[in-house]
Amino acid sequence: MNATALLLTVAGTIGMALFGLFAGLWFTGIDRVLAARMQARIGPPVRQPFIDLSKLLVKQNVVPANAIPWLFNGAPLLALASAITILLYIPMAALPGLPVLGLQGDLVLIMYLLLIPGLAMVAGGLASGSPYATIGAQREMVTMIAYELPLASTVIAFAWKLAQMNVANPFSLSTLAATPIWTLVGPVGFMGLLLLLATMILVVPGELGRIPFDAPEAETEIAGGLLVEYSGRNFALFSLSLAVKTIVVTSLLVALFFPWNLTDFVAISCCPYLASAANAAFFLLKLFVVLFFSVTLVRISVARFRITQVVDVYWKVLGALSIVGLLLVMVDAYVR
Amino acid sequence: MPFPMVPELLGSLFKKPNTNPFPAPQLPPTVTGLLEQVGQGKAQLNPPVAVPPKLRGKMTYNRETCIGCKLCLKVCPAHAIDFIEGAKKIRIFVSQCIQCGQCTEICPKNCLALSDEFLNANHDRYADALIVD
Amino acid sequence: MKTIEVKKPSGYATQIGPAHPALKEPVMFSLDIEGERIKKVDFVPGMAHRGVEWMGMRRNCIQTMYLAERICGICGITHSISFSRAVEQIAQIQVPVRAHYIRSIVGELERIHSHLLWAGVAAHELGFDSAFYLAWRVRENVMDLLEYLTGNRVHYAIIQIGGVRRDIVPDQFPRIEESMKFFEDAYAKLAAVFLDDTTVQMRCRGCGVLTYDEARELCPVGPTARASGIKKDVRIDHAYAAYGDIELEYQTPDLLTGEVRGDVYDRIITRLLEVKQSIGIVRQLLAMLPDGPLLAIPKPAVLLAKLKGAAGEAVGRHEAPRGEVMHYVRLEAGKDEPAAWKVKASSYSNYLSWIPMMEGEQIADIPIIAASIDPCISCTDRVALVRPDSRQILTKEELHRLSVEKTRRIQASLVK
Repeated sequence: MNATALLLTVAGTIGMALFGLFAGLWFTGIDRVLAARMQARIGPPVRQPFIDLSKLLVKQNVVPANAIPWLFNGAPLLALASAITILLYIPMAALPGLPVLGLQGDLVLIMYLLLIPGLAMVAGGLASGSPYATIGAQREMVTMIAYELPLASTVIAFAWKLAQMNVANPFSLSTLAATPIWTLVGPVGFMGLLLLLATMILVVPGELGRIPFDAPEAETEIAGGLLVEYSGRNFALFSLSLAVKTIVVTSLLVALFFPWNLTDFVAISCCPYLASAANAAFFLLKLFVVLFFSVTLVRISVARFRITQVVDVYWKVLGALSIVGLLLVMVDAYVR
Repeated sequence: MPFPMVPELLGSLFKKPNTNPFPAPQLPPTVTGLLEQVGQGKAQLNPPVAVPPKLRGKMTYNRETCIGCKLCLKVCPAHAIDFIEGAKKIRIFVSQCIQCGQCTEICPKNCLALSDEFLNANHDRYADALIVD
Repeated sequence: MKTIEVKKPSGYATQIGPAHPALKEPVMFSLDIEGERIKKVDFVPGMAHRGVEWMGMRRNCIQTMYLAERICGICGITHSISFSRAVEQIAQIQVPVRAHYIRSIVGELERIHSHLLWAGVAAHELGFDSAFYLAWRVRENVMDLLEYLTGNRVHYAIIQIGGVRRDIVPDQFPRIEESMKFFEDAYAKLAAVFLDDTTVQMRCRGCGVLTYDEARELCPVGPTARASGIKKDVRIDHAYAAYGDIELEYQTPDLLTGEVRGDVYDRIITRLLEVKQSIGIVRQLLAMLPDGPLLAIPKPAVLLAKLKGAAGEAVGRHEAPRGEVMHYVRLEAGKDEPAAWKVKASSYSNYLSWIPMMEGEQIADIPIIAASIDPCISCTDRVALVRPDSRQILTKEELHRLSVEKTRRIQASLVK
């Protein structure tokens, strides 16, 4: 890689990091206000997550006496860094230069990278030296194992379909962004894709640790679970990693299921950068819609599941549905 | 209906929130700044929810008619009434008063009554606003 | 060499409380856990002890009335009613009929308030915050109504020994009817959210079971007992105030579902049914409200003099939202203060049912099971002894010994 490419990559990384942080915190704020309005409350101002962040950064960072200091302090950094790293591989709105590391990464790499923030939280929880954190860490590990099944079924369905159509690099996200999967399947496959979309919408709250799948952090049961001993700067870093992960997971969903751009429908050719700006805005709108239906609406409509019920729902109900979806996509190819 | 909360939630999105935004909808940058602005007439505080008549609020005391019989002290559950020996009058500590109104019932001269003032918060227990005499 | 079998302790011990987001008041649960299953549970109450009985025995009966009301914020009037019933029995004061009706009406309004509060808290323990906000929004209506009738949202200060201090005049009837209509509409919504929601059913059905036989042994009271099928209600069994004039039915879950399982879901059903019953009772009593005086002895100074001369002991009872509340009072002639005052709150009888309910369940269910008996720990804590120089938490054996000694002392003083 020559010097300019390297410089561009570094600049792109910094840009993506800032975007992930700002957009993540903004969307968290919008989620909170919308949830409040739906519960007939006024809610906080939209910039509340920024206020919370600035408050956390000035608070004392307490490391418990029987914690493992290097792991306790390193886990939040690892979570944030890995969440930002995933952002570098996800295509966003066909903007030039994105994804920053696009050609080097694919879906399988993203699936692996998605595990790292969760594992960092588990490590942080186990390093906290508190029984509540230990219970929370155990539950987080179980939840991660549980939602991998529907997630894997979806990834396999996409890759299989593209490979079957003899598209080069079936696992590559750029390929997926260029060829919307809905255009490649017939009615049977359409049903299958709908099932996969439904299961993925419910995998998102599990990934982000939101109700009904927030057993690892259940506030009323284990007083905050994994994060119970975290405070100050460490807690701020975990909150940021969660905000960035929100952008990551919703962008992934949009890239897989809704890769269309505004310019595909409406020709915008008057000014050079208006097209890109419009595409970017459309992309943020798509993120918001996915966030609303998978996180906001779900988290205020139902109660929290027990950890055994989390596994039951992810394996028996959503796992079965996603496998049926996968089979329908496969059957579709042979029927046509 | 498996998720009965959902229609309720979506409906609330288009209605006014149930919260009465007293004194302001969001926390201002500084509370003292907001109060200063209100004093200068540049900002307004939202009023609280209307209180019913006969709300049991802050005590009022008619010093002239009081005869110093000390019956109110006998019956105050919170020991919030202080007797002033020389003048044979009383003093009520609002921070201690539980606003039960028992003293208003036993007073033979009807010089005690409960008003409907309820915004009595103060930093100082013994501020002038919190001593009725 | 002989090998020695060492039994490795499986699982680990942890505790929930005394301060924990699941608990609205401090109580400590110590748990032996294996994985997520609870093997053994024990609880240590006594952390909300405030010395209320000690203070009450240094105030005259009118002052103690208000102290009794402040034993609990949610069930304040139940303590006032029980205390005044006890004192009225000793001093042989006949409460006028209109006062009885007003006491019952405010008592039922408080029951609606308490059950709605409980519904919100239970929903919050389940992580279902939207139901929490909905239940408490409905509760705002009954609090506004109580403020309109009695002058305050909590601690109504409406009971006086020998009657009530405020009247419910016909001008206020339309407002009360408006509220009752609101509650009827809201009841349908609340029943749908709490009983039909899939996730609530998944969490509460089959969880925290107290069978009929276990309930017979442990003698819980109130909705905890009725949800397990035990037909026990002070308003029906030993009718008092205005309850003797109306027909009441024991609210057990089989009235709605046809069967009794004694789990958390059944307790939700019982409390919702009781809200409906209370709406009906308030309407009935309002229609039947007889004319008459409000107080047997209108002048407080005269009342104080009469109570000073009264002597004897009595027990006053009331069906609080949590069950039966008992106040034991003993007055001696020539003294303003009660010579003895003992409060048995309803949660005291319900505590022990936690143990069979929690054993075998998961940690995740501790908050909802703890909340399902509607514990009012402020009402209950009369059992920690704090001496100036030492702190002592009494164990069950010591408590029993002290209780037996006290009974002997009381019996001895009666003989004298």
